[in-house]
Amino acid sequence: MLKRPIPYAVAIGGSIAITAVIGLITSRAAISGLSAFYLLLVLWLGARWGRGPALAGSLAAFLLYDYFFVPPVGTFSVRGPAELLELAVLLAVALVTSQLAASLRRAHAIAEAVASDSRALYELAIAALRTPQVTAALAMLSGRAAQLACVGRFALVAMDFGQVTPLEGAPLSADEERQAVWCYENGRPVGIAIADGAIKLVRTHPESETTAFLPLASGVAVIGIHAATPDPAELRMLAALVGLADLLLDRRRASLEAERARGFEASDRLKAAILSSLSHELKSPIASLRAGLTALSSPQAGLQTEQRELTVDMDRQAARLDRMVGDMLALSRLEAGVELETEPHSYADLVGASLRQLRAELKTRDVQVHIGPDLPPVEVDELQVGRVITNLLENAIEWTPPAGVVELGAAARADQLEAWVENEGPPIAPADLERVFDTFWTRRAQGSGLGLAICKRVVEAHGGSIRVENRRRGPRFIFTLPMARVAAQK
Amino acid sequence: MSGRVLVVDDEVEMQRALRAGLGYHDFDVHAVGSGEEAVREAASWRPDVILLDLGLPGMDGFATLKALRPTTRAGVIVVSVMPGEKDKVRALDAGADDYLVKPFGTEELVARIRAVLRRQADVPSGEPVVRCGDLEIDLARRTVSVKQRVVRLTPTEYELLRYLALHAGKPVTHTTLLRQVWGDYAVGDKYNTRYVVAQIRKKLGDDPANPQYIINEPGVGYRLDA
Repeated sequence: MLKRPIPYAVAIGGSIAITAVIGLITSRAAISGLSAFYLLLVLWLGARWGRGPALAGSLAAFLLYDYFFVPPVGTFSVRGPAELLELAVLLAVALVTSQLAASLRRAHAIAEAVASDSRALYELAIAALRTPQVTAALAMLSGRAAQLACVGRFALVAMDFGQVTPLEGAPLSADEERQAVWCYENGRPVGIAIADGAIKLVRTHPESETTAFLPLASGVAVIGIHAATPDPAELRMLAALVGLADLLLDRRRASLEAERARGFEASDRLKAAILSSLSHELKSPIASLRAGLTALSSPQAGLQTEQRELTVDMDRQAARLDRMVGDMLALSRLEAGVELETEPHSYADLVGASLRQLRAELKTRDVQVHIGPDLPPVEVDELQVGRVITNLLENAIEWTPPAGVVELGAAARADQLEAWVENEGPPIAPADLERVFDTFWTRRAQGSGLGLAICKRVVEAHGGSIRVENRRRGPRFIFTLPMARVAAQK
Repeated sequence: MSGRVLVVDDEVEMQRALRAGLGYHDFDVHAVGSGEEAVREAASWRPDVILLDLGLPGMDGFATLKALRPTTRAGVIVVSVMPGEKDKVRALDAGADDYLVKPFGTEELVARIRAVLRRQADVPSGEPVVRCGDLEIDLARRTVSVKQRVVRLTPTEYELLRYLALHAGKPVTHTTLLRQVWGDYAVGDKYNTRYVVAQIRKKLGDDPANPQYIINEPGVGYRLDA
């Protein structure tokens, strides 16, 4: 108790000083009830230093008052109940005020601690969010977390695009890294839980440090906690720091994603430029070939029948080469990430354009179109979907005998349009039903193996799907397209 | 001699092949390799049709088209390797009469050239009735009939059909149709033209999946088959 002598010295000194003042006053005028001055002192002592000095002050005050002012003056004797009461009041006031003051001080201390915690967090958050480099902000945060008495180590692991990147704190062992990945992938914390903004420890071994794993949106916090029963305030602080780390890791991932997107964009632009120049380089010679060969094969060129047939054959091969180059470029464009220009279209219009394009090839075939007049419009890229229809029709033409039937149709199915093209070709082996859409897979001698692969990519770019079924008459290709969101205008 | 054709292409092999191929079809052909030469040749030789490659070195196809327009009344067929649809639209809006994608066969090119020549011949005759199969559009009396049966069109529908009829056989872009039929404010809303064309087809009894009169030019616009 007397480890701190100053409060007690003040208590006794104060009592003596007040006694002197009271003595001075009573020597001039007879005023009763001046002992209340002592109460002021005791109150102040209780508020300032607590119970001990207050008690000491009240005892000193009582003794001094009794000795100097209570008759018989000059003795410590207590004459009657009034004096006893006075002493009791002084002592009671000392006890009560000191009690009150002590609890006030405790509350104040807690408020101070909380305020200092939030101030620290606030400053950290501001600094972290202001720091342009997220890694620097994360380092700051980890440093603060490691200062907590209960925290032995604090490490952050970022999980970006399936890649584990230890960011801050002591490096993890391979085992810990595996555990971090497990924790992230399953979204389940290990050895720790956050409930109502506070961290709760699970499975704490009192004698050894527990390594806890906490999954965040874009990573994992690895925290070594060595106290068996950590201070709840520290755990609150830790929870707040983990929350901030969560935000910062998210920011880190967002900036990484933006960077990646910029990279992709640049490489897409490069690819598009290469493809465009490549298409020019490949197609220009074919253009000259076809112009020359078709000129030669016209009757006016005066070639003999055999020579003309040869020329026509060569032109057909040149045209095939042209189609293959076109398909390959189209596929590369689709793989480079084509941007769809979707608009509401009537599916019948798209079919009309494709049928017209293939007029010559379809001439001898019986084309049957089953499209109702009230089919709602689809939201598609006209040219890309036109290519799908054209490719499926070309495939059908290849497999349908010259006098055969090619059927196509469409119907609304819930929020999608289901369109189909059917030919009279031989059925496709069950094992090949999926493979027909693979790049370079073909059953045709003349096929490039790209037409159906292009169909699949275009349909999927529209959020639809394509499949093939063996029908009674032949294979039917079925694909879905999104309906237009706009209602038909009046 | 069925017409003068000026070939503008920087590839000598292409020039030679077209000179031969078009020559076999009785066209008189001159060939040049640059836009500047094309403008000079168009002014001095006065061709009927100019076959203009868009990918020229130096002065490019669009600049050449722009330079050609005030000095010549020749029909211009724009030719390009894998043109984007935007290039086609841009060329048509800049005054080209048709476009053709490289590579092409001589027969197809000849058909296109003949169509342009036919349209040039039709214009001065001032024929007030445009025919397209069973479809008759009487521009003087503002009536439309299919197989002698009169079809009643709304003013908008008639205006659109009339504009296509005035340019029968030529692809007309969405932008041009919107500007001509609705006015400048409507440019950009392609759904308008699609909707009106669907209505016209319905009234004419034309199957959109196998149209006989108004033909879709995917990504570009429409053409009245003539």
